[in-house]
Amino acid sequence: MDLEVERRRQQRRADTNGAASAASSPDARLTKQRPASRSSSSRALLLPLLVATLLGAILLSLSVGAVPIRTTTLLRAVLLQNELTATERIILFKVRLPRILSSAIVGSCLSVSGLLFQGLFRNPMADPYVIGASGGSVLGASLGIFLFAETSLFGLSVTALLAFAGSVLTMVVIYSLARSRGQTNVVTLLLAGFAVSTMLANCTYVFEVLDSASGSGTRILLSWLRGVISTPHWTGLVFAAAALVAGVLLAFPLTRRLNTLALGDETAQQLGLNVEHTRIAIILVGSLLTSVAVALGGLISFAGLIIPNISRVLLGPNMTRLLPVSVLAGAIFLVLADTLARTVLSPTEIPVGVLMALVGGPFFLYLLRRPRREISL
Amino acid sequence: MSQPLLALHHVGFRYGRRDLFLDANLALESGTATALIGPNGVGKTTLLRLASGIQKPTSGSIDLDGRPLASLSPRQAAQQIALVPQQLEIPFDYTVQEVVEQGRTPYLSRLGGLTAADRQQVDRALDLTSTAGLRHRVFNELSGGERQRVKIALGLAQQPRLLLLDEPTQNLDIGRQIELLDLLAHLRSTGLAVLASLHDLHLIAGNFSAVLLLRPSAAPLYGPPDRILEQSLLESAFDCEASHHPFFSQLPTRAGS
Repeated sequence: MDLEVERRRQQRRADTNGAASAASSPDARLTKQRPASRSSSSRALLLPLLVATLLGAILLSLSVGAVPIRTTTLLRAVLLQNELTATERIILFKVRLPRILSSAIVGSCLSVSGLLFQGLFRNPMADPYVIGASGGSVLGASLGIFLFAETSLFGLSVTALLAFAGSVLTMVVIYSLARSRGQTNVVTLLLAGFAVSTMLANCTYVFEVLDSASGSGTRILLSWLRGVISTPHWTGLVFAAAALVAGVLLAFPLTRRLNTLALGDETAQQLGLNVEHTRIAIILVGSLLTSVAVALGGLISFAGLIIPNISRVLLGPNMTRLLPVSVLAGAIFLVLADTLARTVLSPTEIPVGVLMALVGGPFFLYLLRRPRREISL
Repeated sequence: MSQPLLALHHVGFRYGRRDLFLDANLALESGTATALIGPNGVGKTTLLRLASGIQKPTSGSIDLDGRPLASLSPRQAAQQIALVPQQLEIPFDYTVQEVVEQGRTPYLSRLGGLTAADRQQVDRALDLTSTAGLRHRVFNELSGGERQRVKIALGLAQQPRLLLLDEPTQNLDIGRQIELLDLLAHLRSTGLAVLASLHDLHLIAGNFSAVLLLRPSAAPLYGPPDRILEQSLLESAFDCEASHHPFFSQLPTRAGS
């Protein structure tokens, strides 16, 4: 009995708090001015600044690890092209640099696909992991690894194609589930994403059981599920970088259309936009980037959520402006996160996916708590 | 007789197994305003969507300048006709300027952005609707009257010859309603044709030269206000006995009906 009374009292207190904050929020929003960084002069400086930060982050990440290499040594090596020992060369070019570039590509891919999906769903909560696109990609890639490991189509491995197809299929399913009458219901979107992710993750466990004999595929799968950034060969890295560049170039003309789509399907259609074609293009480009990220780093949660949302707070919602910032900031963010992941518990490393879940989870909850007007559309 | 800008000939729309309306006729001339009235759910919004070309009628035909509207691409149609929606819900904090710039979408090349000419049209649309002072404000933080004017600015940025408005006076106080009607009168004087759906019948007199009345169980009626705004017609169309209501008692009654 006491418990019930206490529960009701808490409920009432929560209600009054909710009402109070709801009442104060309109005033707070009215006084809000556009941030200074939306002005064009500081915008012009932003991209060079981000490039410099990215180079700095890469340099920092190169220097730390089981064998520390001083940044001055690195700088001298870059500028004067000498002074590296054979061991240092191996560490830098066979181990650290591929891994760092890999994490940068993963970060850019996740941020840009997050940005595209947020525009598609007209909702800041969308992210390739949250809505299950990453999960679909992992499932597709697992099918490839376990069933068609040696097959290739038009020079591309079937595994890569299936990773892409898995992401596209998942997106189509989620999209048709979460949209009704031109609106995205945020609860349906998140629940559909949750259901599909869980389903896919558990499907991949079945592969693990089936493949327990050989074990190599299983090891890859496990690192995918935990979100470990791989250390790819240079050819793989070049392919991934090419896919990222292609994805960003294709995304660029889509950003203007995403701004139009923000007005709603009907208004966009009335403005002469081919809404269906635009949506298909967004799903394809977003899925391409998602599958590149999955191929290099597996399931990394929330990265595609954090960077676009922080950028949007600082720069406003214009997608054309957010795209280059997301590419660079996403790369910086994941380079730093992966550096932390491989050094913080040295000599063992924690998967960056685990680290991101720990950081991204609270951020996701914070987004959920924001005024309903912005997220319930 | 001159060619009307937009003409509806026996237009009908079937939704599922029910005819929303049948045989709607209308001829809109440049520089005129027509009111679209009728009870809730009779299909006013649908008729506006048909007139904008984003939806196709199930029967009858719609002509723009004597050519079938359906023969125009969505882009071409958007350069001639603007539809100002009843609700405009925008996620994220887009500014008024960013919203109105979207009105240039039908003129942009596949890969290009706004040109100087596009920006000039955006400025013109903001000036016409007196929203230039709001351009850096966030759309979602505007009042109802401000939003209404920005929505019209978005439509005007399309440089249309026909402006379709869905319930433009809804949720506006009397001062903002008058402001809006004055704006529409000004736009009409620049040669724009206006078709607006309305619930407030008392706003029609003096502001609209023709009325299209959609009725739930009879053919639509089209004519000048004094012929359509007639007590018994409205009572049957809106399904009410309202002769004691001050507004209805001012209306002319048709002798013998």
